[in-house]
Amino acid sequence: MEQFSIVGKDVPRNDAVAKARGSAIYTDDMKLPGMLFGQILRSPVAHARIIKIDTGKAEALPGVKSVITGKDIPKVKYGNWRLFADTQDEYALAVDKVRFIGDEVAAVAAIDRETVREALELIEVEYEELEGVYDIDASIKEGAPVIHDYCPGNISVNRKIEYGDIEKGFAESDYVREDTFKVQAVSHAYLEPCSALAQVDLDGRITLWTSTQVPYIVQCLLASTLEMRENDIRVVKPFVGGGFGGKMELRTWEFCAAFMAKQTGRPVKFTLSREEEFLTGRRRHPMTLHSKVGFKKDGSLMAKDLRIILDGGAYNAMGPTATFLCGNFGAMLYRYPNYRFHGRHAYTNKPPASAMRGFGAPQSLYASEIQMNLAAEALGIDPVDLRLKNAQVSGDEIPDVATISSCGFIESIEAVVKMSDWKRLRKELKPGQGIGIGCYSFITGGVFNWFNTQYPFSAAEVRAFSDGTVHLLTMASDIGQGCDTVMKQILAEELGLQMEDIRITSADTATTPQADLGAWGSRVTLMAGNAVIDAAKKIKEKLFGALSAFLNANVIYEMECKNGMVQPKNRSKKAVPFGDVVAMVQKAKRGEPLIAHGYYTPRDKGLVTPAFGFGAQIALVDVDRETGKVDVKQMWTAHDCGTVINPKGVEGQLAGSIQMGLGYALSEQFVMQDGKTLNTNFLDYKMPTAMDMPPSAVTHIDTYEPEGPMGAKECGEGLASPTAPAISDAVYHATGYRCKDLPITPEKILKSMENDT
Amino acid sequence: MTLPKFEYFAPESLEEAQQLLLNKAEGAHLLAGGTDLLVKMNHGLLKPASLIALKHIKGLEEITFDPKNGLKIGATALLANVAAHPDILEHYPAVAAAARETANVQIRNMGTVAGNLCNAAPSADNAPTLLAMNAEVLISGAKGERRLPLDQFFKGPGANALDSDEILSAILVPAPDSDSGVSYQHISARGKVDISAVCVGVMVRMEGDICRDVRIFLGAVAPVPMRAVKTEATVLNQQLTEEIIEKAGIAALDESQPITDVRSSADYRKKMVAVLTRRALTEARDRALNS
Repeated sequence: MEQFSIVGKDVPRNDAVAKARGSAIYTDDMKLPGMLFGQILRSPVAHARIIKIDTGKAEALPGVKSVITGKDIPKVKYGNWRLFADTQDEYALAVDKVRFIGDEVAAVAAIDRETVREALELIEVEYEELEGVYDIDASIKEGAPVIHDYCPGNISVNRKIEYGDIEKGFAESDYVREDTFKVQAVSHAYLEPCSALAQVDLDGRITLWTSTQVPYIVQCLLASTLEMRENDIRVVKPFVGGGFGGKMELRTWEFCAAFMAKQTGRPVKFTLSREEEFLTGRRRHPMTLHSKVGFKKDGSLMAKDLRIILDGGAYNAMGPTATFLCGNFGAMLYRYPNYRFHGRHAYTNKPPASAMRGFGAPQSLYASEIQMNLAAEALGIDPVDLRLKNAQVSGDEIPDVATISSCGFIESIEAVVKMSDWKRLRKELKPGQGIGIGCYSFITGGVFNWFNTQYPFSAAEVRAFSDGTVHLLTMASDIGQGCDTVMKQILAEELGLQMEDIRITSADTATTPQADLGAWGSRVTLMAGNAVIDAAKKIKEKLFGALSAFLNANVIYEMECKNGMVQPKNRSKKAVPFGDVVAMVQKAKRGEPLIAHGYYTPRDKGLVTPAFGFGAQIALVDVDRETGKVDVKQMWTAHDCGTVINPKGVEGQLAGSIQMGLGYALSEQFVMQDGKTLNTNFLDYKMPTAMDMPPSAVTHIDTYEPEGPMGAKECGEGLASPTAPAISDAVYHATGYRCKDLPITPEKILKSMENDT
Repeated sequence: MTLPKFEYFAPESLEEAQQLLLNKAEGAHLLAGGTDLLVKMNHGLLKPASLIALKHIKGLEEITFDPKNGLKIGATALLANVAAHPDILEHYPAVAAAARETANVQIRNMGTVAGNLCNAAPSADNAPTLLAMNAEVLISGAKGERRLPLDQFFKGPGANALDSDEILSAILVPAPDSDSGVSYQHISARGKVDISAVCVGVMVRMEGDICRDVRIFLGAVAPVPMRAVKTEATVLNQQLTEEIIEKAGIAALDESQPITDVRSSADYRKKMVAVLTRRALTEARDRALNS
């Protein structure tokens, strides 16, 4: 491992104290003079034509300043896939039709929340109800009700990947199996419900403070839906209480806040309730996955044919990306010499599914990993050995898709097997106990440009000052994952400064450099980190030039920034303080400030991502054979995220991933009836609590990713995948129940055990 | 969420509270910990014109025990304090366990056992044990004070036996016989910190290995916490063997009347009634034999 002075250290986060004390300002904490409160009127029916909306009584209510419906706003559809306009299927407020319970029909802004609520009740909407479809089978059936007129078969996205010769692969296999898996929707359940506050300035330009992962995307889509120019919209991201993929699109309340602020001349704020979030919020895609795999007798993988249907809900949202990615994840982890994928995204009359931590991987890898275990058992090979035999390694190529530049997968499996004493425990456990394995690979950001940005994917501006400090400006969005701290660490390391020497301004589209695609796809550390390094290198070039001239030495030295000084490499006797060298640069140019810009956009990195993370996880469970309840006793993880920039941050990602994985595996699901979500609070939406967290041990595998900043790659999402398959495999080991239909409820375990006896 | 407007009163004596309740009549609601009430108000399910807080009444939070009269839990005694009270831990371990396993730390630090009973949810964690132990409630009203056996207190989901002028001032639990044992068992979808999908409270009095007295109450499987009369009959005057306990589990399953809702299916609830009844009987028996 390279020697670093700040990278790789447990640098405390600059926001931790403020958040722990409650003094951090989130969007809903903000109040502006004359501010109005807004709320959305949502459809109570799952599928209907809007015959008439009468807002007269609501408008007449004293205190009401604005009531808008789909009739009042520009008819502009939006969606993140700007390059493919036919995927953009959503209006900010419903036009003619509603497609799910919670679909946005109208919005009210008034002087206080009570008046808003009263006004909402006064809006009269006449619906002509239509037959609804609530699952994949009903949606794709011949003659099913059509949800969007442009899309008669309800399949809005088709995606295919194929390489090798799939038929030949199966023909040459000794063992072929086919399985169908179903996975459920789960909620992001971020602690901060969505909130947006808009204000209009003297020139009619808009400033929007919003709880978002993607300030730049919101800026662009808000401009198009308001029919304004991009630069007339300023989006600022205050502290954000988590996103997990649920805050990466333009949303109705962001539009309405801006539109109504413009209309009334007063600031307007919308904040969703937890019930709204659960009833209508984005969620992870439920999927049905048919997977056929072929092996040689010795366990060599020959072929995989994967067919997935995503239950997309009423709109595309980030469904096209999820459809694309789950096919790529199906080809990851193991070397499939022949591979075929067909993904279809189906509309249903339910709240739209969208991006959620793992973005197609938790679903796709659940099927992959469980099927590996099924095959291992049939072939009489230890599941660990079957994985080692087929594991991807550095340099492996997925034709036309990606080349894996660094890969610590085998090392991860070996480490986690050792940590958990797998070979012994697999044989020696008490009745009711089980141990199981799950693995993952994940992307480090996307190389694709469906958003069709005209800017670099990430950018940074570094301003150096003669007092020895620097100011970093970046549009990268800290949504709680800690990238403000990580960006500062990278810059401090590169410039030989301390954390306290660096001031950061981030995620403000009017003041930070264009652009950044946002906090999603585990892209920020690599992409924004590379942009920061690019800017820092340009600063250094100028500093080194100035110092060389100043030293006027008779030989040419390599220079370095170290310990707050600039110096010829390893010659601290000739060191000059950083700030003094900045002053030299400025003096040479009549005081012009020392500023540099850095950019990063991946090049020649295939179709998916510049770098992949890998890892393996083992779970130990204890199943109560009378109640079917699963108690997870221990998790062991070994993973490869390249250079660990902030160990505490990485461990935080792991703990959060295990918590989400536990819920995905065991307890979380939306209880739905005819398109209506019935469990709309944390009492009945069974997200695990701190009390449910098992002990956890982790090993970071030491790899160096050549494309990453200082060798780093992703750790934010990949870890969201292995927990469910590991627990599922452990439950099978304990009870004989092999779950192909998440979540693993006590009831399913008991039924399976009854059938076995 | 915003609370609707209401008047707030903080009387310092039970008499004063009583008077307020009479004066304010229908629109008034008593407030103890507020952990159920304020949630309902936040969601617009209840719109009381006035709230009468009980927490400022001195002495109402007291917990007292003496071997003759048993345990008295004041109306505003916190769940957290009941769970940690040394006398309750020693003489009423199942009462402490039920309080300790109600909701989460924050709720236990605000909420009360009496409030848990008055809220009258079929799933109330504190009801089955207290019912099994022959608890009574002390009620003060315009016409004076009355004692009501707890098993006559629950009238339906969210409905209790209090008249509009009455206040539940304390819970009274007799001192347990030295040869008796009590157990509380519950299960829910989440591992810990959850509302119970099924709960069971059992008290047995043993004479050697023969069960001479038994009370079994099942929660969340009927509109009110229900007494499992047929189940009691299967164990009364029997040796509490594994076989009898197994039979009792089946009897409880048969006589429970659960529904399917967002928290569980009726089928799973029935199975769990059997399991939890077995476990509660076993633990109660063992506690009786070891006491």
